[in-house]
Formats: sequence, C-alpha cells, structure tokens
Amino acid sequence: MSNKKTRVKVELTRRDFLTVAGAALGSVAAAQFLTTGPLSPFSQLKQSQLEGVTETGHGAATGEYHWGMVINLDTCIGCEYCMRACSAINDVAPDKPWNIVVEEKSSTGSTFYFSRPCLHCQNAPCVEVCPVGATYHRDDGLVVMDYDRCIGCRYCQVACPYDARKFNWEKRTDVNPYVPTYGTPEVERRPRGVVEKCTFCIHRIDAGLRSGLIPGESPSATPACVNICPVGARVFGNLKDPESPVSKVLAANPTIRLREELGAEPSVYYIPPKEGL
Amino acid sequence: MASVATARRSFSISPGFLAWLGLIGVLLAIGLVTAVRVFMYGLTLTNMYDTVPWGLWITIDLSAIALGAGAFTLSAVVYLFGLKRFQPIVRLAVFVGFIGYTSALLTLIMDIGRPDRFWHPWVYWNVHSVLWEITWCITIYLVIMILEFLPVITEHRFFDRFPWMRQMAALLHRGAWVLALLGLGISLLHQSSLGATYGIVKSRPIWFKPSMPIMFIISAVAVGPALTMALAFIIEWVTGKVRIAHDILRMIARFSGFALLVYGYIKFWDLAAVTYYGRTPAVDRALFTLNQQTPYNFAFWVGEVLLGILIPVILFLAPRFNRNPALLVLGGLLAVIGVVVNRWNVTVSGLFVPVSYSPGTQYILPPGTYFPNLVEWGIALGIIGYALGMLTLGVKVLPLFEEKAHA
Repeated sequence: MSNKKTRVKVELTRRDFLTVAGAALGSVAAAQFLTTGPLSPFSQLKQSQLEGVTETGHGAATGEYHWGMVINLDTCIGCEYCMRACSAINDVAPDKPWNIVVEEKSSTGSTFYFSRPCLHCQNAPCVEVCPVGATYHRDDGLVVMDYDRCIGCRYCQVACPYDARKFNWEKRTDVNPYVPTYGTPEVERRPRGVVEKCTFCIHRIDAGLRSGLIPGESPSATPACVNICPVGARVFGNLKDPESPVSKVLAANPTIRLREELGAEPSVYYIPPKEGL
Repeated sequence: MASVATARRSFSISPGFLAWLGLIGVLLAIGLVTAVRVFMYGLTLTNMYDTVPWGLWITIDLSAIALGAGAFTLSAVVYLFGLKRFQPIVRLAVFVGFIGYTSALLTLIMDIGRPDRFWHPWVYWNVHSVLWEITWCITIYLVIMILEFLPVITEHRFFDRFPWMRQMAALLHRGAWVLALLGLGISLLHQSSLGATYGIVKSRPIWFKPSMPIMFIISAVAVGPALTMALAFIIEWVTGKVRIAHDILRMIARFSGFALLVYGYIKFWDLAAVTYYGRTPAVDRALFTLNQQTPYNFAFWVGEVLLGILIPVILFLAPRFNRNPALLVLGGLLAVIGVVVNRWNVTVSGLFVPVSYSPGTQYILPPGTYFPNLVEWGIALGIIGYALGMLTLGVKVLPLFEEKAHA
C-alpha cells in the first residue's frame, strides 16, 4: 500500500515544469504555423473557397454565370432523343448513358417520363470526396472532371446521390450506334480507368462564349440534349441572369429539385407533371 | 548479441517447411498472374460494376489495415503508457502491422483504375477528402513503422559490417516514444477515417451515421492485438520455442476481450440508438431491402456478433478458457473473421441498396448483385501469399523476439 503511494507521488521540479511548458508552447506555435503559415494546406485556398464549404445555396458559382437547366416532366414524351444526342455528341458508351430516360409512375398512377443529366450540384458530394481534386467546381457552377488527374478510385461514384457517374471498366472498342444519326462526336473517348459524367456539353459553352454566343439561346453553344428535344422540355441557360430563358421558366413555374434534403444544391430543376408526382 | 546471431545461422529445410514454402509460392504465382492480367485488360475482368464499384478488394484493404492496428496499440502501451512488460511483443506487433499496411497498399494498387497515377494524392491535394487524408496518414504511418523497425533489421548479422548504421538505429530506438506518439496520433486519425469514408456519404442512408468511425476504430484496437497474440502462439508452435511468455499473451488476450466488449456495446448502441430510434424512412427501406434480398442479417448476427465478438470475448475473458493457448488462438482467429465480415457487410451492403433519387414512387434503380469472381479471389490469394511469405521471412531472418530487453 505504502509502496503504491510513493509511486503515485509526482515530483515536479522547476526543470520539469519548464520542459513541459516549453513543449506545450512550442506545439501551439508549431500548430499555429502549420495551419496558417506558408506550409499550410489551406494557404493556397482563397477565402471564398473556405467559405463556400459551409454556405449553402450559392455554392460554387461565384462568377458571372451559373449554368442551370429546367426539365419539364409534364411535357416530356419519353422519346429518349436527349439520351441519344448526348451519347452521340459526347461519344458515350451506349449501355452507360450519361443522360438517362426512364418511365415513371406517379403516386396517382399516371405515367410520366423522368430524365436526368448530371445535376451539377453547388455542394457536390463527388467534389468533396475526390482524393486528388480530379473533379472540381468551376466558378460558372459546372462540376468538371479532369480525366488526366483521376486515379479511378470510384469514391465519387459511390458518393454521388444521383447515380450520375460511370466508370470506364475497360478500353472501349464499341461502335457508337447513335453516330451519325444523332450527331457526330465532339469530344474524345475517355481512357480506361477513369470516371466520367455529363458535362452540360462544356466544350460548346466555352467555345460559344469565346465567339460571343449565348449558351441556352444559340444552339451551337447549348447542350445537345436541349437542342434536340422535340417538345422543348429542356431549357438551359444562365441562372444568374433574370432575363435568360431558363430564369424566366423557373420564375413562371413551380419546380422541385431531387433529394433536396441532402443539401447538395443541384443546378437542375424539374417541373412536375400536372397529375402530380 | 553477436553470438546469438551466429548460433541461429544454420537451419535445415524440413519437408514440412518446404511444403509451406511451396504453398506460399503457389499463392504468389496465382496473385502475380492475375495481377498481370488485370493490368493488361483492366477492371472489367472483375465482377464489380457501376452499381457496386467497390467489392472484395476494398474489404481486404479495410481489414488488413484494421488487423495491423496491433502495431500502434501495443507500441503505445509500451512506449507511452510505460507498461514495459509488453516490450517483448512490440517487434512482432509492428512487423504484423507493416505486413497489414503493405498488403492493403498492394490491393489498393490493383483496385484503382489508374495504377500509374498512384502518386497523385501526394501531389494533388484535396484537403476536404477523407480518402486524401487516409492516403497521407497511411503513407506517414508506413514510414513510422519502418523507422520503428529499422533497429530490428540492423540487428541482422549482415549489418556487422556497417556499425554506423547500428548506431543510427540505436539512436532511433531511443526515440521510440516519439515514434509511438506520432504513430498513435496518425493511427487514431486514419483508422477512424476509414469508417468516416462511409459515414460521410449522405447519399447512402445506411452508411450515413456518426457511429461509423467509432465502430471502425474500436474494432481495430480490439482485434489488431488479438491477431498479434494468435500469431505469437502459432509461431511458437511451429518453431517449437517459447518466444513470448504466455502470461503476457494472455494479458493481451484479456485486453482484446475487454476491447471487444466495448466494441459490442458500441455496436449495440449503434443498432438501437443510431439505426433504430434514429432511423429515417430511407434507412428503414434500405434495411428491408437488405433483409429481403441478402443474407445481411445472418452475416451480421452470426459473423459479426456471435463469431466476431461473443465467442472471442468468452474465450479471452473466462479464466477456464484463457489458460489454453489453442482456445486463445481460436478466439483471435474468430475475432479476425468477425472484422473481415464486418468490413464486407459495411462495404457491399451499402452499395446493394439502390440510390433512390427519383421523384416518382415506382422507379428505383435495381438493387445491386455482387459476388467476387475468380480474378478477384486470385488477387486475394496473392495478397495472402504475400502476407504469409513476409511473416515466414521475418520469423526466419529477423530477430523478432528479443533475447534480452534493451534498457
């Protein structure tokens, strides 16, 4: 018993105290330096990027544009043209479309057609989880893939709440059945081992803006799925411009977004069918 | 030390050992052939597909890292908490940890679509990504383990010619507590982040819960030392020498038993409080789907709870069982199986449940189906061959069991 007591007793000399205090101060200083100093991983981030993580609603689109889309489920006839044009223009594997079209039944029993591109979320879960930053937000609200940086871990695919991402399991040798009927490929096929998804035809948007066209109004600067729709169920444009067609449609109609409860803030809005969902 | 090293010099190869080497060789050959095929033709050779993009290999990664947790747990026990009597097992624990982590990295290289870009997480940073944090932690921890282990390697007689290397290693050994502290911090980070990898995924209802990282880390702390303990007994049986005093191994088993009890309690809390009372309709639907279409419930109750927790706890803690080495080894192996089943259940079950994002009521994606095919098993066998081979090499060549403790 007495033996135990002597062991518990701590003798604190001045030297011990100074050592401990010095170590504590040193680690605080080191931590301070490492988190705010030039070595810090956060030092390269702009203040707006740091804030964007916690903010909801505005998210990534900090620039002049925020590209968005409205899909009218009430007028959609389920012809799948959007899927085919998309697959042709972006040379997508026919069995793994970026843009899906499926038949749906509403709770009242009526049939409607549901289609889904990548929703280009403003707080995209895929962007958050990518270990190498191969998928990222642009300041025009687009979620972009860098095929040269992707390591193919497929975490983004697992994290996407909308199943918008597809992985290249093999080197593609297939013949695209939608070429040339629905268009000719405007982008390269993606290499084996990387993840891909809908880009809102980013190549058209960027080229269009450079030559002074307005994406959403000039067909050559607008996503293929929007141009081909025979009933005009898809409207595309700049959500930040109140005069753009997409903003006008958004203002004039009741719309929903998918899985709103997740807070991913998609840039794609849906007009529900008249019979209800 | 030197005389001991020379005494160990000659060993004859018995037929049994030859057969063992043959087995390891076959496993490695299967693994190599499969790996070459996967590198040539891509991941299309596996049974994974877009609905279930993670499978057996991710399960192996997670399990191998969890099973390597004995390294940081026992290092911390000895070098930070000052329980010096556990010193004799630290080397084995660190070695097993090293094997576990390198096995995980080997599997990971197979699993990513672009193995040629394995270095990207080191260069291209996304500080918001758990997976990025895990990659860095594992890299740093691997370096720590190598540093911790260097003094042991330099004891080999090969280094008789390089005394300066031994001096460096001795210096390193004196700083063992610093390494243990670093290792503890880094391990606590990434062992839980592996759970967070699933826990933060909002889109998957049965993954998205705060208990995920806690369960991962506690199970790792419980099972890692148990595996080291079981391996110590097995090595003793095979080599016929008492390497580590049995009361130390029994103490480790009891520690694992208590840690498994904590794990069991946290699992019960997770089941009752987090999953049941905290459930959302989506969780309800997901569990219903799993119970309808997969042996999820059976794997959970029998694989994870009965085999993985209850039986090992009884074997480790009941005085009438834990004096029998065979039962301790059995308990250790069952606990290992429990962790592997758990990692499998977490990974694959979460992916089986379709992501339902549709606004309609009728349409959801079809539930996933997945079972690993021969290619995936081939890589798994190769990894097992690598682990067994490394272990054999270590036991044969390295002074894993200190003859006398360094002061």
